[in-house]
Amino acid sequence: MRPILLQGHERSLTQIKFNVEGDLLFTCSKDNFINVWFSHNGERLGTYAGNNGSVWTLDVDPESRFMISGAADNTLRLWAVSTGKCLYTWEFPTAVKRVAFNEEGTQVVCITEQRMGHQCAIRVFNINKDGDGTNQSKEPLYMFNPIGSKATVCAFTLTPNVIITGHESGKVALFNVKSGEEIDNNERAHSDVVTDLQLSKDRTYCITSSKDKAARIHDTKNLMVIKTYNTETPLNSASLAPNRPYILLGGGQEAMNVTTTSARQGKFETRFWHKVFEEEIGRVKGHFGPINTIAVHPGGTCYASGGEDGFVRVHHFDDSYFRSKPYGDMEIMD
Amino acid sequence: DDAAEESNVSAELIALRKRLVDEWNAWRTLHKKELGEQKSLKSQSAREEKEEIE
Repeated sequence: MRPILLQGHERSLTQIKFNVEGDLLFTCSKDNFINVWFSHNGERLGTYAGNNGSVWTLDVDPESRFMISGAADNTLRLWAVSTGKCLYTWEFPTAVKRVAFNEEGTQVVCITEQRMGHQCAIRVFNINKDGDGTNQSKEPLYMFNPIGSKATVCAFTLTPNVIITGHESGKVALFNVKSGEEIDNNERAHSDVVTDLQLSKDRTYCITSSKDKAARIHDTKNLMVIKTYNTETPLNSASLAPNRPYILLGGGQEAMNVTTTSARQGKFETRFWHKVFEEEIGRVKGHFGPINTIAVHPGGTCYASGGEDGFVRVHHFDDSYFRSKPYGDMEIMD
Repeated sequence: DDAAEESNVSAELIALRKRLVDEWNAWRTLHKKELGEQKSLKSQSAREEKEEIE
């Protein structure tokens, strides 16, 4: 499992995402740029330039036609995947911390930061796919301020107009975006900031990671905690491996704390846990700083990690990964 | 004796894992069934809408 090192970002990675087919990997960074790479060989296909601040978040639509990004320059941008052109820019009073497309790619949800007298806000925009994509409506379809702790991550559920959110307090909640009403919550899903939320392929469950050093699988319909993975490091990202009963976790201590520990170079590891047995089964090291973001190829053939060190590492699984049955012959559904 | 104990432990562990897998698969089966029903409902209402338009 020799990794491919993607060199092109000059500062830490904030989020990485495969497209639906998995042939493309999108990466965004504090260096103000978004890059897209061929996942099979790590060749850079292009760059999306124009942001004037850290790009915090991105998502790709199911057709790989549009990409959406959110940045510290208070903009939400819609990009043409194939040309690299910015098609539309929405501006807000504060930074955009998280974006996500719905399953059909017809809507986008975004979270803006709570700062300078502005509350954390969640907005939903319709994406007009007609023409070249430059004709978007300036005003959101829905907007509301989530009550209580500010939201840090979000995604559309299978139920129309219902999103699942993770919060600074550790809360995980369901919101009706039309009314802004909190439909359901689990105040104690985590005891610290929720840092990532990734959905299963069919969106019936999701995995969250938190600074509380744990990752959890939740039922997206009723927020029931199905599984818990307790590690010994603050977690920045959690991802589900399709077709195999594994989850991937990444994190590490904050850069400022690294020098006070015995952390050696290249020792920041992606941790593999068994999804059902809640046991750690292996680690892959390589990054020179905490791992900020992890994504698994939708076909389950490789995974990528983005680090505080500015590198993206793509690991293609070898045959033994697919053959190995560390816990016997039991059939485990995805 | 030790060997016997060890094999007991692993038998327990195997039983536990079997239970965990069964629970997980039962939960997934339930969801997939619900999902199937939802999808057929959706396509049904889509068909009805189409008919109305026609």
